[in-house]
Amino acid sequence: MKIIRVNMNKKTIRTEDVPQDYAGLGGRGLTSIMINAEVPPKCDPLGPENKLIFAPGSLSGTSLPNTSRISIGAKSPLTGTIKESNAGGTVAAALGRLGITAVIIEGQAPEGDFSFLRIDEKGDASLIPAQEYKGIQTYPLVEKILESYGKRTSVLCIGPAGESRLTAASIQSSDLDGRPCRAAGRGGLGAVMGAKGLKALIVDQRGKNADPIADPQAFKEAVKAITEIIKTNPMNAEVMPKVGTAGLVAPVNSMGAFPSYNARKGVLDGWEEISGERLAEIIQERGGNPTHTGCSQCIIHCSNVFVDKEGKYVTSALEYETIWSMGGMTGIADLDTIARLDNLCDNIGVDTMSTGVAVAVSMDAGYKEFGDSAAAIEMVEEIGKGSEFGKILGNGPAAVGKHFNHQRVPVVKGQSIAAYDPRGMLGNGVTFATSPMGADHTAGNVVGKYLEQKLDPLNPEGQVETSRELQITNAAADCTGLCFMAYEGLNTPEARKALLKAINAKSGTQPMLEDFLELGIRVLKAEREFNRKAGFTNEDDRLPRFFYEEPLPPHNTVFTISDEKLDSIFDF
Amino acid sequence: MKMRVKLFGTLRQRFPDYRHQQGMEVEIPDGATAKDLLSLLRISESNGAVVATEGRILKSDDRIQGRAHVNVLQAMHGG
Repeated sequence: MKIIRVNMNKKTIRTEDVPQDYAGLGGRGLTSIMINAEVPPKCDPLGPENKLIFAPGSLSGTSLPNTSRISIGAKSPLTGTIKESNAGGTVAAALGRLGITAVIIEGQAPEGDFSFLRIDEKGDASLIPAQEYKGIQTYPLVEKILESYGKRTSVLCIGPAGESRLTAASIQSSDLDGRPCRAAGRGGLGAVMGAKGLKALIVDQRGKNADPIADPQAFKEAVKAITEIIKTNPMNAEVMPKVGTAGLVAPVNSMGAFPSYNARKGVLDGWEEISGERLAEIIQERGGNPTHTGCSQCIIHCSNVFVDKEGKYVTSALEYETIWSMGGMTGIADLDTIARLDNLCDNIGVDTMSTGVAVAVSMDAGYKEFGDSAAAIEMVEEIGKGSEFGKILGNGPAAVGKHFNHQRVPVVKGQSIAAYDPRGMLGNGVTFATSPMGADHTAGNVVGKYLEQKLDPLNPEGQVETSRELQITNAAADCTGLCFMAYEGLNTPEARKALLKAINAKSGTQPMLEDFLELGIRVLKAEREFNRKAGFTNEDDRLPRFFYEEPLPPHNTVFTISDEKLDSIFDF
Repeated sequence: MKMRVKLFGTLRQRFPDYRHQQGMEVEIPDGATAKDLLSLLRISESNGAVVATEGRILKSDDRIQGRAHVNVLQAMHGG
């Protein structure tokens, strides 16, 4: 239970015990509560007062499956709000095994000065000059890092976009194969890392100093029960390993809520060509891997490895949100193009969602035609080259809208929506509007409730309440390191009991289910408090006008949740 | 009446002769509901299977008569 504080201008490293105020926290809970306490809300997100915090979940590094999410937090340069973006891969488990609760990057290196922060197998941290790696893309960077430090090394890093402080820049996370293909994409945290002068965080995976488990026997029993529940859950045991998150392309198009052609339609022409089922078929035919394990401790295997017609690696993993942004929004119903765009984004270090939507906004403004694959690839390559237009694109859809003086920009608080149109899935619109993170599907995604027929996506009744419930439970789950799929698989009373048993056995405390939900509320309160102090008001919790005015085919409906209802969501 | 059914997720694996481009033709009795169709296909609702048509997920008791084409999907969370 230790925190490593790194000052980038003084090049000092201090290790301290976790202060009482942060005791028991992990993941998003730790990053958000710490930022609210330590970062001046009105500070420049790319200045020395901002802090970049890496925090594994409270259960990361244990034997509990699917607990390998790393939360990364800061004040966002994209939204101006507090931000937590989490990623899979291997680093959360590596930090957990070293007993490291958080790594906090403070201050700012002189302009153009870059370092690695390396944590060795004993948990000792050191700053290493990394000038020679300046400008390098993430795949060759990680290859060189693994050559130097060995294969059992986890990496979080930025590409050229982060170095250039572009506000859609991501932080890429290495997977079990040592590829930087997982991403903390949202909120432009790669730009914060670049502004700090940190090119990569490098963590040895061989640590053996994990925090002790208070009740090992009870923990073992909980792990056994949870493993069994995940393995028998139909979504996690059957659908995810076969089609991955891309399995959502069919249901969301079938519901007319797949934002297409920059959210002009709710169904993409030719969507079956980019469906999860087609993706699995293509990968299988070409000898790729449709059932890939990307993250430490994973027993779901939702990842995939996409290869070209010659069987050569293109990207991993092709996910639903990327397929939507690069395919649906741009009108490009071609998986080869989408896979190429995904790899370009990972290598340059930009969020695939913001980038796809930025390309779509430029197409909508008349810069290029929807469906033009070559144009989309050229545009994204511009980001890597650092051209003037590339910089605009790399700053996300709002910057592109401003450049073309184009009003149809699907963002909230500067961040693009995700793959669910607010007019076809009202509850997702509520989450996009009100999440303290800006438009963010991971904050409270209602799509599962619609598919389970617990809620009608077009009826305003119950949408705010459902979004609230999900935003609270997701905020709590984001503290544990559990991936979203595993957490969703644990949504029965029996499963929740097993999860609580694991948390209690790990920490030696006795929180009840209400306390777990209370944690979610505590996190949301801290995030909202930070945003208020940063100058955000209820007026910022709104969708762009066109969602209220422009009917979406095929249902030809608009977003109908009133401002008053939206403002009531966090009455707690 | 006859209707064309397309299967998504892992459902198609249950039908070795299934060709996705064409889907499968299913004969349903008059007044059949979404639940009846799933039962005819021996697909259990407890596995999260749902029937979608014309942009809507049908409730179990919704009639499917008069629809030329439906998709059978598996519920999932995302994404």
